[in-house]
Amino acid sequence: MLYRKLIAASLRSQMQYKMNFITSAATTGMIMVLDFVILSAILHRFNDVAGWNIYEVGMLYGISSASVSLYRLFAPEVNDFEKYVVHGEFDQMLIRPVSPLLLLLTRNLDLSRIGGIVQGVAVLVLSLAGLAREGADLLWLIVFSPIAIFSGGVIYFSMALSSAALSFWTHQMRDILTFTIYAPANASNYPISLYPGWLKWLFFTALPIAYMNYLPMLALLGKGGGWYYPLLAPVAAATALFLALTFWKIGIRHYHSTGS
Amino acid sequence: MVYWRIIRKSYRRNLQYRLSHLINNVASSIFGLVFIAIWMGVLRGKAVHGPYDAETMACYIAICQSVLWVTTFMSPGLNVQVGVRSGAVSLDMIKPVHYLWYTLSQEFGRLLYNACYRSLPIGLLLGLAVGFSFPSDPLAYLLFLLSLLLAAYVGMLLFYLVGISSFWTTEVRWLHLILLSLVFGFGGQMIPVDLMPGVLGQLAPFLPFAAMIYYPVMNWLELAPVYSIGVQLLWAVILTVVALAVTKQARRKLEIQGG
Repeated sequence: MLYRKLIAASLRSQMQYKMNFITSAATTGMIMVLDFVILSAILHRFNDVAGWNIYEVGMLYGISSASVSLYRLFAPEVNDFEKYVVHGEFDQMLIRPVSPLLLLLTRNLDLSRIGGIVQGVAVLVLSLAGLAREGADLLWLIVFSPIAIFSGGVIYFSMALSSAALSFWTHQMRDILTFTIYAPANASNYPISLYPGWLKWLFFTALPIAYMNYLPMLALLGKGGGWYYPLLAPVAAATALFLALTFWKIGIRHYHSTGS
Repeated sequence: MVYWRIIRKSYRRNLQYRLSHLINNVASSIFGLVFIAIWMGVLRGKAVHGPYDAETMACYIAICQSVLWVTTFMSPGLNVQVGVRSGAVSLDMIKPVHYLWYTLSQEFGRLLYNACYRSLPIGLLLGLAVGFSFPSDPLAYLLFLLSLLLAAYVGMLLFYLVGISSFWTTEVRWLHLILLSLVFGFGGQMIPVDLMPGVLGQLAPFLPFAAMIYYPVMNWLELAPVYSIGVQLLWAVILTVVALAVTKQARRKLEIQGG
């Protein structure tokens, strides 16, 4: 398969710098751990946030940070797409016999994000252990976690791809990403019910992060959601991906080279 | 004075980005709103803890988000590593101005810009969301300003030290990220440092990271302990000495390499 070949080539070139990979992955993981430690410190003191205890928030947090890291691992060039439009590098991709999106995805892997995935999974495991001590039923939580992480990764990817498509018109993307990736990634670490109405509304529609962890966890942690809530995660991910791909194609048709 | 001219020039250079920054401020405010929402969720229906009732905490976070742009969101390594990599640093070092003050002036111009086009709009937006809180005592404004300047100064020196480490290493990116997460973790951006549990809560107020965020915010809220400025001043002095010494070493290293 073409994807495998191209990705293998980019991996081989990165593995020339093994030490760099190890230190960068370790630092990325450590930084994210510190963030969670501070959150634990807050919840240690105040017990719960809007009725969610540390282990329950940990489930949200673990899924969200593993998902966003999964997206950052596989699609660093989508996250960094602005440079392609601004410097006109995108022109070269259009004349290749492979689709531009496949080229973007195979050009690079950001291996340092593996640290973030490890951190997210570690938070999940700790939270599951804590929930087990409280006597919760773990079966469905364990079954659902990988589905959630994968769906979340797809949702983040879709939001990023839409932002990249938007940059065909706006010629800039970094400020958009703060809206579409960084702020949602931060917000989805915690229960969505905390936020003011308009923000909540955004997280259920245009930036659909509520479906990857919050809604499913409502049901799985017995906080009063419908039994089908967990199923919404893959459904929302597929819908978001479809819309993003459509928008991306429209964007490419609209693309005018900067001609530099 | 020459440093003042560098500051003004750097301020004016940054003005070019103001439109995109003004839009970005809305996104940055969302971060603030998320933190405020978390704290509201944490404190809802609980006994008030020390001075931190829900209202004070909302103001604390709002002012934090505003102060961050002057004391924390600086150029990584103050861009020293960029000059080291390109070799331009050798020219900067033979300028008749001291390299440390030259670099700090450059950054300070940008921070002044940030104060006008980042901190003020964000403070305004978040203030509209959670309500404004102004010091009642005119003296508090003076203390806040002093504390803010010291915070920016301490921050600049820490960032400078990261940048100048590039004389000996190839990559400062990770050191920068470590510094940033220490500042975010122990500076008081997510939780007032005195609320941290155990030893951490006793130690954190005396680290340089608290000097960058926690103390200026507390001074604005008129909740700062009397020694707050003293802690900041102490770190300012210590870090100045260290930065001067390291700059001297870096200079020598440059001479050995032959520029």
